[in-house]
Amino acid sequence: MTKENGGTFTRREFLKGVGVGGGALVLFGQFGIHSAAWALSGEATLKMVVVDYKKCTGCRTCETACSSRNKPAAVGGKELPGLGNPYFANIKVHNFNPDVDVPNVCAMCADTPCAKACPVEPDGKTGRRAFYRDDASHTMHNDASRCIGCGSCAKACASQRTGVIRPNPETGKPERMCTLCGGDPQCVKRCPFGALSYVEVRRDRKFYGLGPEKIAAELARNWYGTAEFGGVK
Amino acid sequence: MSGKPGYHGRILEIDLSSGKSRTVAIAPEDLDKFVGGQGLGMKLLWDRLKKPGIDALSPENPLMFIPGPFSGLPVPSSSRTCVVTKSPITAPLTSEHRHASTVTYSNMGGFFGPEIRFAGYDGLVVIGKARELSYIVIDDDKVSIRDARKFKGMRTDAFDRAFLEELGDRKYKTVYIGPAGENLIPYSSIIHTAGRAAGRGGSGCVMGSKNLKAIAVKGSGQPGVADHERFLTALEKARRALYGTTYAKSWAEQGTARAIVGNSNAGTESVRNYREGTFTEADKIGGDAARRDVWVRDFACYCCPLACKKSGVTKGKYGGVVHDGPEYETGVMLGSNLMISDMPGLLRAIYNIDDLGLDQISTGNVIGFLMEAYEKGMIDRKFLDGIDLKWGSVDATLAMIEKIAAKDGVGALAAQGVANLSRHIGQGSEKFAIHVKGLELAAHNIQGNQPRALSYVTASRGACHMSGNNIAMQNRRAMLDSTGMCFFPTFEPALEEPMLELLSAITGHEYHQAEFEKAGERIFNLEKMFNYREGFRRGDDKLPDRFFEDAFTIGAKKGAVLDRKKFEDMLTTYYRDRGWDTVTTKPGEAKLKELGLENI
Ligand code: SF4
Ligand code: SF4
Ligand code: SF4
Ligand code: SF4
Repeated sequence: MTKENGGTFTRREFLKGVGVGGGALVLFGQFGIHSAAWALSGEATLKMVVVDYKKCTGCRTCETACSSRNKPAAVGGKELPGLGNPYFANIKVHNFNPDVDVPNVCAMCADTPCAKACPVEPDGKTGRRAFYRDDASHTMHNDASRCIGCGSCAKACASQRTGVIRPNPETGKPERMCTLCGGDPQCVKRCPFGALSYVEVRRDRKFYGLGPEKIAAELARNWYGTAEFGGVK
Repeated sequence: MSGKPGYHGRILEIDLSSGKSRTVAIAPEDLDKFVGGQGLGMKLLWDRLKKPGIDALSPENPLMFIPGPFSGLPVPSSSRTCVVTKSPITAPLTSEHRHASTVTYSNMGGFFGPEIRFAGYDGLVVIGKARELSYIVIDDDKVSIRDARKFKGMRTDAFDRAFLEELGDRKYKTVYIGPAGENLIPYSSIIHTAGRAAGRGGSGCVMGSKNLKAIAVKGSGQPGVADHERFLTALEKARRALYGTTYAKSWAEQGTARAIVGNSNAGTESVRNYREGTFTEADKIGGDAARRDVWVRDFACYCCPLACKKSGVTKGKYGGVVHDGPEYETGVMLGSNLMISDMPGLLRAIYNIDDLGLDQISTGNVIGFLMEAYEKGMIDRKFLDGIDLKWGSVDATLAMIEKIAAKDGVGALAAQGVANLSRHIGQGSEKFAIHVKGLELAAHNIQGNQPRALSYVTASRGACHMSGNNIAMQNRRAMLDSTGMCFFPTFEPALEEPMLELLSAITGHEYHQAEFEKAGERIFNLEKMFNYREGFRRGDDKLPDRFFEDAFTIGAKKGAVLDRKKFEDMLTTYYRDRGWDTVTTKPGEAKLKELGLENI
């Protein structure tokens, strides 16, 4: 088994259950392998959070690490970094019965169907809609001042990709866009099992987004020979 | 709100008789003295059951789910919820109170306890009895009680999925009972995530008596901490003590199942209804075999770096998905203790027991007893409704499990537990009816392990293997089970200092070693006061004769048997060191005063 060029994972490991951005990519080869850790050197790459489903134990430490930094709890009006309800994390661990855990995080899709779905007119200067990608970090952002809270971005993400972003129940404005923690991903740092990595991937091709339910079904078929989950086929 | 840091200062009380719920403040003093989990649960039980002899299955008996001060914070292994209630199983030899029984507590991992704290409570207390089978939904401040009749009789694995589907939101964390709890089998469990259980002591039976099928909870809040900076520093230290260590990896590798072979070799395993301490076929059902043939994945509870839970799949006649196991307790009680060495068969039994919502330990113990009584000719096949309950028979074991949960035929008798069963059968079978105070012993055998015998006889909930082999251990564990932290990572010495730091930083109460143990001692003594008030005396701290008469015939501890005199001497010393009366076991005035329990 040789380590592929420029990556953390061997091809075989990848085939067994490594997905990019909570599964925006690829499982078991059958969905096509596009932008994995074995990027050819010299090609345009970006760094993102990659999940190894085989190593994930569903402990949700990543959620707590994320919300601790990106949405810290305020107690008595005072923000307390390091504390946060995992529900508000930008990474969401979906758990199923039989046991499969699928951490889901923005895949930073090259073609941003979420941003394309935003009905707000692009800004004359920046060309940005109310949902847009930051060209330096490739992370997704919401311009809350122009956002009308229609939920189209989240809908597009849910139907075409990971479904990780969701409209705030009150304002309708999207939440849970991964910030990459300014280049120091806390989820990767805190995962006790090394299931998350912050690695370079290629994004020269279209991502085939998969929601956590589809990934879970695939993993369960592979591990347990069944894909019967409650409410998930 | 109490304003006490690290806590919400309130519990949620749900009265199923009236259909109403309310929040109740907890006195800050109680939080300092009883912490949370097992301790706070005991204090609430003491306050609510003001007199002895209240029927555990009556609406008055509160069923409580209590997390601890660690719960809801990103502390490693802060996953536990303690279920506390009055036991529907235990009974003293004699008592003037008709329904006398001990306290019972059962500690469960997973995700439920943290979610209770996210919802804004330090505990849930369920009282009363619903008119029809119901379930409770808690979404922050919103509480509703809903009709669960359509789920009547549903097994836990199917219910786990159906319930989340009904709720329409996977964020809910749920606990529920199976057919056994609905049928009021005394040793019923409460199940969480299909493979985790509050198993021991009958909490599922109490839940059934309230006509409560399930509870779902989710929350958007967050408990605070007293000293933020100190908390963050200690948190990093706690993570460093465990992350990536050989210790953590060994738990991920085999969980508790490693001990199936280890304890058999050491002669401390429950084998053939506690007749032996060694199972010659242990390797067929041990951790290595499971890793090789069954397990495909390791799973962890909330924020836990150990991942001792396993899942997998087996093939053949008994094949199917394995949610958990074999663990040490489940693997031994349904394996070695019944002489079963067929791995898929063993796992089918474990799965079915969880699926029906029975306690694995008591179920394995009861079936082991019946196998022995059958072998000895004290009962015949007719008594067993035609089941050929021979040692090692998977099919017979599976048949018995179904009968127990359904209270069908011989199952109705077996459902009453090994103490009542042996009373019914008579013929000297009490000698090998392996229980203390009515609660069945667990998977650690004691002919060659007198300290563990102490744990069984002096534990507050009946024969408990977790209580501790000496006073210091008992106090420490009572305290650990009050914090919300799992006790497995705490065997790692490097965790000790950061763990105490964290607790102090969260609560603002200085928990150095001595204070930590003192709190545990206080909790243990309050449990004792409760049991004493019910009528439990020294004579109840008693082992079946087997342990003094049947020396092991095989294994490393061949020839081992307990000595009555030594055992009684050990107990006398124990009561004296505890500051209890050596004749009655009543906690002494001086001790109570020292612990701040004199006016309780
Ligand atoms: S912290 Fe790691 S192991 Fe735990 S749920 Fe997240 S990805 Fe999985
Ligand atoms: S579609 Fe979803 S996963 Fe893809 S970039 Fe947009 S928000 Fe992220
Ligand atoms: S919710 Fe806001 S950002 Fe999303 S599509 Fe609508 S307007 Fe655009
Ligand atoms: S990289 Fe940062 S923002 Fe993104 S999921 Fe991880 S912790 Fe959250």
